[in-house]
Amino acid sequence: MKTLPFAVRTLRRQPARAALGILGVAAVGALLFDMLLLSRGLVLSMQQVLDRGGFDIRVTATASLPGAGPRITDGTRVAASIAALPEVDEAVPLRFGEARVDIGRDRPAVAFTLFGADPSRRRAWTVLRGHDLRAGKDAAGAQMLVNETLARLLGASPGSRVTLRPSCRRAAEALPPVTVQVAGIARFPFDTIAQGTAAMNRRDLAAACGEPQDNAADLILVAAAPGHEPDRARDAIARVLPDITVATNAQIVGRLEESGFSYFRQISAVLATVTTVFGLLLITVLLTVSVNQRLGTIAALRAIGLSRARVVGDVIAESALMVGVGGILSLPLGLVLAQWLDRILKRMPGLPEELHFFVFEPRALGVHAAVLIATAVLAALYPVRLVARLPIAATLRNETV
Amino acid sequence: MKRLVALLVVASAVAAAAHSSQPAVPPSILVSRQLAAARQLRVGDVVRLAPEANGASAREFRVAGIYEPTPDPMRINAPKHEARLHLPDLLSLSADPANPLALENVDAISIAVGPGTDPAAYARQLSGRVPGLMAQPVRAVAGEAGLFAVLERFHLAIAIVTIVASTVFLLALTVMLVDERRDTVGVLRLIGLTSRRILVQVFAEGLVIAGAGGLFGILLALGSQGLINRYFQWRYDTALIFVRITPDVIWRSLSIAVPLGVAGSVLASWALLRRGALSLVRR
Repeated sequence: MKTLPFAVRTLRRQPARAALGILGVAAVGALLFDMLLLSRGLVLSMQQVLDRGGFDIRVTATASLPGAGPRITDGTRVAASIAALPEVDEAVPLRFGEARVDIGRDRPAVAFTLFGADPSRRRAWTVLRGHDLRAGKDAAGAQMLVNETLARLLGASPGSRVTLRPSCRRAAEALPPVTVQVAGIARFPFDTIAQGTAAMNRRDLAAACGEPQDNAADLILVAAAPGHEPDRARDAIARVLPDITVATNAQIVGRLEESGFSYFRQISAVLATVTTVFGLLLITVLLTVSVNQRLGTIAALRAIGLSRARVVGDVIAESALMVGVGGILSLPLGLVLAQWLDRILKRMPGLPEELHFFVFEPRALGVHAAVLIATAVLAALYPVRLVARLPIAATLRNETV
Repeated sequence: MKRLVALLVVASAVAAAAHSSQPAVPPSILVSRQLAAARQLRVGDVVRLAPEANGASAREFRVAGIYEPTPDPMRINAPKHEARLHLPDLLSLSADPANPLALENVDAISIAVGPGTDPAAYARQLSGRVPGLMAQPVRAVAGEAGLFAVLERFHLAIAIVTIVASTVFLLALTVMLVDERRDTVGVLRLIGLTSRRILVQVFAEGLVIAGAGGLFGILLALGSQGLINRYFQWRYDTALIFVRITPDVIWRSLSIAVPLGVAGSVLASWALLRRGALSLVRR
């Protein structure tokens, strides 16, 4: 009988023990898999969110987050000069503001984030219902897109009219109210769970803010031209406009990886190490006890002619089988567990709804498999040593007596 | 030493009067330990601070002291390059000269209420009296730090998964160990010991082993907490404490580990003791 079928039979002889061992490996493997998904999950998720709109580069006045730092004073001119570069396909200036809608005398006003964007082929949002904003300035009949949260808070739907009070100066303002039509319901990439967000054409927003000629922009979204790498487009922009901050999506993600997201990488590394060591110790103990209980059987097998290499192979196969089956089971278990843990972590305040902590990537699967294989081999070392050095005659005599 | 750095500046109105009476001497500032280390600053050094990145409108300040920033988990990744200025100095450095109100603008006002005053009630009263002002008691702000409540839940979830995995392994081990003592248990039954008596012995054994294991785990945690804290304090350059083994944590760990260990031993033995004595000795 070959090694693997023999190992299968050995495990089947003790079904409860084998099942518990495999379940234990599956639980440890699932935790390990989740820690691997967590280690780069936020980074991958952030990259996906940044890439979703089709823009490769973000341009701001300073290194501050958009909306938190100073504005690019002549945003439309800067955007036009960027768009004129051969490395650039499209440059869209965005203006951030806030707005309030009074929904009744006894109820607090609904405050939300309002931003203005120039018409463009690519959009920073995804329209879910209704239609996108019309291109061009139309202050009299201004339109806006709202997200699901805001639509629910305002009881609005495509076609509704909403009277809002905008605020564009990051300070208390008392601007006259403006009535706009809801063009559609959209999903915005960086919305938090409870955040209301709306978008208007930038000129409509400027007009609503009482500054129709104001061309300032908080952020310019740039898409590299086909055939041009974002890095080349970034360098070209930086050459033409050295006083502004230009960053590709990869650079933004890199910065976040170095700062904001490192806690989860650290914690996942610690937990993955502890989990692996824990699994290794327990599998070693299980195999060792199992081998100790079968010393008589193993000595008898050696006595009837099975080679040392063969019985050693049986122990390794048993370890591989236990870890292999447990490892395969750990993948679906890990994915279910990841969803649960992701839901817990996504309750963090201020976290964009589309960001996830646990994101699958093939690399995680490879590392998971490699760690489990190494665990199976290492866990088998001590029991293998026991089997390899087993004195046949003495063991048979002891076991028989 | 004259250097220009980008840093977080916090202003305080304390001792502003004393400063303004000595205009010839550069105003004093405090710099954070991290900033002092990064820029090799020492007490007595004169530095130039500017509100603009290009160094325009820079003014000289004298480093009066170096301080350790209050550990703040919300700013764990921030570089902590900070300086503390007297409020009038910061306002005169950063205020827009064209805006006459700029010298009176502040971002926040810290208020210490008198003894017997309810901070929440006072904050509500203040918010109602001054339109446009948001007043919040410090405890309410701290309570809003849902980030840490979420992290606590996440760590609890990880602990639950670890406990489940441990329990499964523990059961597998006890099943094997009990099976190994099958003959012994059979002999004990044959010489007259009741199942209940043997179960009590197993319970006592389980209690001792689980207790010893639990204590070893606690000692390991106590020994490693310093290591973990030192690593993360070095990694994030902070005085924050990341792991703290409190009596409550010890009690909770033991209250889970010991019953779990005992239950594993008893459960595995119970299955064996239900068999007849002769079948246990394979007769």
